[in-house]
Amino acid sequence: MARIPGSGIVRGMALTLTRFFQPKKTVMYPEVKPDIPPRNRGRLELVTDERGTLKCETCFQCAQACPIECIDMGGTDTKGRYAVHWGPAEQYAERREESAMRRSGRTVSDAAAAQESSVDLRPVEAALERVDYDPHHMLQILESVQGAYGYLPVDALKRISRATGAWYAMVYGTATFYKHLTFEPGRNRTIAVCRCANCLVAGAGRVINTLSFEFGTEFGQAIPWSNLRLEALSTHLPDAPSPLVVIDGEPQRELSSRNAESWAAALAGRYAA
Amino acid sequence: MTTPLTKPSLDDPRIAIPAASEWYEPAPTAQTERQAEFLNLRDGEMFVNMGPQHPSTHGVLRIVVKVNGEQVVDLDPVLGYLHRGVEKLCENADYHQAICYTDPLEYVASLFCEAAPVAAFEKLMDVEVPRRAQYIRVLTMELNRIASHTLFQGWMALDLGGITPILWSFIERDEIVDMLAALTGQKLLYNYYRIGGVNGDLNHEFMSRLGNWMSRAAAQIDSNLGLMNENEIFVRRTRGLGTLDAATALRMGVTGPNLRATGVPFDLRRDHPYLVYPELEFNVPTRDEGDSLARYMVRIDEIRESIRIIDQVLHEMPDGPVMAKLPRLIRPRPGRAFGAVEGPRGAYGVYAISDGTDQPFRMRIHDPSFVHLQLVGPLTRGNLIADTMAVMASLDPVMGGVDK
Amino acid sequence: MVWSRMTPGGRALAVLLPLLSVGGAVLTALLVVAGPFIGATIGANLPIVRFLAASVITFLITVPVAFLLIYMEMKIIALMNLRIGPDRIGPGGAVMSVVHGLKVLKKEDFTPPSVDVPVFTLAPVVVYLASFMTVMVIPFAPDLTSVGLEFGLLYFFAIGGLGVVGLMMAGWSSFNKYSLLGGIRAAAQSISYEIPLTLSVVGIIILTGTLSLPKIVEAQSGSLLDWFIFRQPLAAIIFFIAITAEANRTPFDNTEADQEIVAGFATEYSGMRFGFFFFAEYVNVFIVSALFSAVFLGGSNAPISLPFSPEIVVDLSGLGLLLPIAAGIAPLLGTLAIGLPIYAISARIKAWQALLAGFLIFGALSTAAIGFWAWAMLPPVADLVWFLLKTFTLIFIFVWMRATLPRARIDQLMGFAWKWLLPASLLNLFVTAAAVLLTA
Repeated sequence: MARIPGSGIVRGMALTLTRFFQPKKTVMYPEVKPDIPPRNRGRLELVTDERGTLKCETCFQCAQACPIECIDMGGTDTKGRYAVHWGPAEQYAERREESAMRRSGRTVSDAAAAQESSVDLRPVEAALERVDYDPHHMLQILESVQGAYGYLPVDALKRISRATGAWYAMVYGTATFYKHLTFEPGRNRTIAVCRCANCLVAGAGRVINTLSFEFGTEFGQAIPWSNLRLEALSTHLPDAPSPLVVIDGEPQRELSSRNAESWAAALAGRYAA
Repeated sequence: MTTPLTKPSLDDPRIAIPAASEWYEPAPTAQTERQAEFLNLRDGEMFVNMGPQHPSTHGVLRIVVKVNGEQVVDLDPVLGYLHRGVEKLCENADYHQAICYTDPLEYVASLFCEAAPVAAFEKLMDVEVPRRAQYIRVLTMELNRIASHTLFQGWMALDLGGITPILWSFIERDEIVDMLAALTGQKLLYNYYRIGGVNGDLNHEFMSRLGNWMSRAAAQIDSNLGLMNENEIFVRRTRGLGTLDAATALRMGVTGPNLRATGVPFDLRRDHPYLVYPELEFNVPTRDEGDSLARYMVRIDEIRESIRIIDQVLHEMPDGPVMAKLPRLIRPRPGRAFGAVEGPRGAYGVYAISDGTDQPFRMRIHDPSFVHLQLVGPLTRGNLIADTMAVMASLDPVMGGVDK
Repeated sequence: MVWSRMTPGGRALAVLLPLLSVGGAVLTALLVVAGPFIGATIGANLPIVRFLAASVITFLITVPVAFLLIYMEMKIIALMNLRIGPDRIGPGGAVMSVVHGLKVLKKEDFTPPSVDVPVFTLAPVVVYLASFMTVMVIPFAPDLTSVGLEFGLLYFFAIGGLGVVGLMMAGWSSFNKYSLLGGIRAAAQSISYEIPLTLSVVGIIILTGTLSLPKIVEAQSGSLLDWFIFRQPLAAIIFFIAITAEANRTPFDNTEADQEIVAGFATEYSGMRFGFFFFAEYVNVFIVSALFSAVFLGGSNAPISLPFSPEIVVDLSGLGLLLPIAAGIAPLLGTLAIGLPIYAISARIKAWQALLAGFLIFGALSTAAIGFWAWAMLPPVADLVWFLLKTFTLIFIFVWMRATLPRARIDQLMGFAWKWLLPASLLNLFVTAAAVLLTA
């Protein structure tokens, strides 16, 4: 270069000095908000129609389609009983604290898991054994657990989440999604069959066989896909015919020794529907 | 529902504070011959660890430098701090979702990362993109190239210690980014290209901003460059530094401005034309030196060429639809396709295999930054610590694409 | 209890008032008793007392100077970057650097494990001490020098070189490779540039025949062409480049090149220890600028003399007791006199706004009047103003360079010092000596 050494530096210095006096480009942010372009997709919003009603039908499709799981939906069901949500559970307290501790690489005892469970968790372990702790068989696990307890205890759900590695929210979401899974004990309907000698002679054995075949469950257990439970009646009710089937304490009078099988099949069909 | 957990505290006896002997990491054991050579310290040599948090690393690159005094003896880039498994994620998403996964690969110029998979998917679908959409793609891609290159010259100056150019570059880049935000809705990850077209036609905000900017862009960018281009300190630090010859560059698979700085006039836009590039007039700027200064100058020449292309595109923009007629759910016939575009850092390629479902069966992403990063070692060996930064800045890798 | 119902301010008053009254009484009594003795002691040891007072004042001066320089750096670089820069705290963000200083004070002073604790602790002290000790020989005005040393220039170079020891200590003791590299870079750079720095002023020493800074300044009195920047331009250029390197300023800030070695020697420091390094850096910038303006820019000599010499004689002693009364009432009267017309102009102006405006305008006017009087009648004030004007122009140039230039590489930096600056300064020295011999 035939130029005088240092001329580039001097020219740069002149340039910065002219910029020193030029108007500045800073946007005074909290006072001056930047323009949001009309096509901006930066914010999720629930859209209302012209009458002000929410257009969202809570179909969860957006949450399922969102590729990076940034949409999650939550709320209570129509009767205001259960919290439901679909989406990453990381945002919820139940997972965040545990995983934050684990992410920091520390070995800490898990306070949630360390608590004494209020129910006996052995059936849960058995149900988990059966599917080899695979979270993909969540429905099957939950049905077995419901079969064992008659309902889904919260501690059992936590144990499932912990053992399978599925998010608690996913477990909970699955449990709330299917109608036949329930969280409350004692609300089960029981189909009780009397097994006294009279009834057995009159055809209770055939009723039991038909019912357990139709419902696909062992006698004395809950029916997994419904909130029904097959039981044996402890004592024969007074003034009741034989064979005796009691549904929720109500003795069924249409049943006789002749139509035992067809009646049981009809009952199962009614509940299955 | 939730059980209240006790808050973690440093006084908690269960949280172990490491003993003094655990402060230092044990020396790693060599797995390969190359690693054994690297880990072997001769007299007066020491390792200096740079990154993943270091003021000059682009993104989260970690470089272990073996130095003898100020001289770099050997160098080992450690990758993977930004790995997300984008290819696998794309294979688990449908074709539309896959585009938005590739978007953040190169966050500085993300339109190119969309263009490559879109090109591959369009080949799979065998769909004709409307001409207006093609012009819009060329227009937005060239704008994004300018945004990326202006930012590059600021970063280059910053890595050499100048603090002003980066802010001026960001002012320039911000104008383009705001423009693209008016068109696409987003400022960084546009997600604008769709299979068979683009997401929306040109709108008034975009066009008025573009017209405003075009009227003074060339003069403004030239004026900004006047600070560094002739500065003796800058020129003396970059000339002859990290010289790459054409044969090595071709052997290493280098593309883009880094290849053109060695004198090979290879540009996908001209040599393997796509979209409407064959109808446009532009030069492929090259330099013969192959050093850091040449890489810098090639990029600056490319800014001028891009402004020229934008001007032509605006003059020849046809009318018509911007989206081809396609079903909502895309299920290409089984087959395989490779789509590539010339990005600001080199050739982006996406190789996609369809098995007839709505998700790509296999998707392989080729990112130029990854190829260029392996040059840092050979180019820096024997230079000084400060030159590591100059060489790396001139290669301009973006870690989002490197780690995928 | 009354105490529990008091506000914090009330509590402070309740504690302070009795203490102050008792303390005042005791102090008065002591002064009455021991006054003559203290006076006699001061009179007998005047040089020592003067030295102590001067060093305390110098030490205290460095802090606001550093604050001012930090603010200047933030603001000027911001404006050149087309930013606004600090603008929230104080007018134009002027108090920003003070708040930064307070922040640094209250941060945790963390000593990393496995550092060499005594050396690590001492390093910032050494660095700061070296900076502030050099301030003591700066000739702000003919009679405004803390210590009028006969060998001031030599002292300056000697003590200025001591700062490098502190940087080396910090770099070595930090147990960090970046710090080590930074410390060694600082030593190498500083030693290399000491030589052209010292050699470039030897020509001036030959011309003036003295090492005393006030006398060098005195030698430049007279017209503008008597300044050494015009009589020794090559020396001025070499000296300027060398002091840039000595003060670790861009483009020679390799010791703390954040793109290469993070923060250099200061990497492991935090809290006020880091603050000491930071302050010392800016005090260094101030003193090298002051030295340049003293040696080359004529120091406190005015570049132009006023065409008229105003004679404003105000004899305040004639007022007697009225003086304090006037001093007390004048601001009130002035405020009212300016505020009332403003209040009367428009109904939209509220009374407090008018009063505030009146107070501010009166303050500005009276400050200007007093300032002009001091300028005209007190020569040291005018000299000090000229000196600081030159110094801050130089500081502006340093900041301007930082905003413009990239960093030179360490080998280029050293090569420049040994291959170019050293021969040039030797050439300058020989030419000057030859000229002096020939003309004598």
